Amino acid sequence: MSAAAHGLALVVLVPIVGGALIPALFRRFPTAAWGFALASSALTLAISISLIRRLLAEGPFSYAAGGWPPPYGVALHFDRFGAAIAVFSMITLLVLIFSRRYIPAVVPIARIPLYYALVMINLGGMNGFLVTGDLFNLFVFMEVFSVSAYALVAMARGPQAGLAAIKYLLLGAVSSLLVLFAIGLIFAQTGTLNMADAAGRLDAAASIVPTALALGALTIGFMVKAALFPLHVWLPDAHASAPAPVSALLSAVVVKAGVIGIIRTLQTFSDHGSLQLMPLQSLLIWLGAIAVLWGAVAALVQSDLKRLLAYSTVTNIGYIFIGLGIGSATAASGAAVHIINHAVIKAALFLAAGALIHQSGLRHIDDLRGLGERMPLSALALGVALLAVAGVPPTAGFVGKWQIGLGALETGRPLLMGVVIVGGLLVLTYGVRIINTLFFRPPLHVRVVTSREAPPSMLAAILLLAASSFLLGLAGKPMLDFVAPAILPLTDTG
Amino acid sequence: MNVLLTHVDYIAAVAIFLVGLYILLVKQNLLKKILGLNIMETAVFAFIVTAGMTDNGVPPLLGPDAVGPFASPLPHALVLTGIVVAVSITALALALIVRVKRECGSVELNELGKVE
Repeated sequence: MSAAAHGLALVVLVPIVGGALIPALFRRFPTAAWGFALASSALTLAISISLIRRLLAEGPFSYAAGGWPPPYGVALHFDRFGAAIAVFSMITLLVLIFSRRYIPAVVPIARIPLYYALVMINLGGMNGFLVTGDLFNLFVFMEVFSVSAYALVAMARGPQAGLAAIKYLLLGAVSSLLVLFAIGLIFAQTGTLNMADAAGRLDAAASIVPTALALGALTIGFMVKAALFPLHVWLPDAHASAPAPVSALLSAVVVKAGVIGIIRTLQTFSDHGSLQLMPLQSLLIWLGAIAVLWGAVAALVQSDLKRLLAYSTVTNIGYIFIGLGIGSATAASGAAVHIINHAVIKAALFLAAGALIHQSGLRHIDDLRGLGERMPLSALALGVALLAVAGVPPTAGFVGKWQIGLGALETGRPLLMGVVIVGGLLVLTYGVRIINTLFFRPPLHVRVVTSREAPPSMLAAILLLAASSFLLGLAGKPMLDFVAPAILPLTDTG
Repeated sequence: MNVLLTHVDYIAAVAIFLVGLYILLVKQNLLKKILGLNIMETAVFAFIVTAGMTDNGVPPLLGPDAVGPFASPLPHALVLTGIVVAVSITALALALIVRVKRECGSVELNELGKVE
């Protein structure tokens, strides 16, 4: 078989093996680790693009790891959800480009190879999580990206980072155990670990109690990973105290794994005859609505720029869960598109904010007054991304939110449309406040006056992401059409 | 009542799980929280191993003449992997606790809250 046939395994193996090699290869030349990490993430991106081309030509396909056919072996499965690995690889690649000048300033030089290793292993875990068709494999890949995320948060200096990392670890480990417990329950009920197999056999299970318990444990476990209100408490600390590129990765990519876990759970349990998913979906809508408003209000009162952005992630996860909870074709495909668009926007936000904070040495919003004059490009990128995250029409944030609100109206829930609009307006309020502070207020702080524009490697990543968070809004229709077939099994229950 | 007896392994696992969860939520000492986490892990592993007992199973290599009861080897492999994951999480957590103690001067969360 040629390398192309093994693409599905390579997209997981390349980043993990590459990442594991980095500390060994670059112990003596820590700064050279960047090039190697960049090359392996570029290779991962190239493989994922070739996988998407095959997906478009042939439809969803599977790969039997080690040549063992399912249900005996571990099956990897590539569908339209798996296409998200291309976006996640792309974001990781841009984050790595950004890290080139940023990381040596915040991480001790001996630890630089470890940073790049953890980023690559995190990417490999995410890719594995997205393509695996095996429940236990899902757990293992979840732990791969979770543990690397805990360690990445701890990469920053200062007492806050260690504390934030251990809080994140404790909650994350509990959620992983809940997922493992649920996997054990499903295995005990069905005798299989293959997801498609298990979905078919759950219906025939003798007792409904363990099935319901498994559903509950999976939902709560993934809710913690996705930081859905009220289980979001770890997120602001962890995302605000991590180094900027790590915050970008965590907010853009890692929380989305929890969302995708919930989608997979709903799909697995959706054709269960006697177990109704409707109460669960109503719960998701309610929690999502509270998350939108709570996250937006909490962001309004923040004075720390990165903390504000972290609360904005809580808001956007709320939007995605409203869409999934409604479950109609319009809302669910809107939610799926918002997963991707929010990933791009949030990466742009955190990287631009990271550049502003790094170059000026200030992180309070009021101190950043007038920085737009000194760092026009980074500030412009932050402004565009802030408008996008608020969902101002032609930008990427608009597509998903509009579809979710439309879905709410179609299913007769005008109140939810109100939540969607009010949430958007609140986000716009603080977005405009930050833009106003950066561009239209005179500098207060002496460091603002002496700040210089970010170096080209940081600017390139920021501008590309900011441009995409604008342009993806124009590609809304093709994206909705692309995700629609993948989300369909979910809509049948709604 | 009958259901409770046939599923006694489920109930025991859930009970131990909840004991661990209680320790993790209530205790303020980070080390005790890690101990609670380890108790929860043990509950999950014990549950998966008991789920591996099979009725009317036939071992693939020994043939139909072998005398039962048999256990499916798959859960054992799962639990071994799970233990590896659990050990690495515990190691990372302990390293982080050492760092928190060094930088903040305490491992009690309620005292750390005052430091901030």
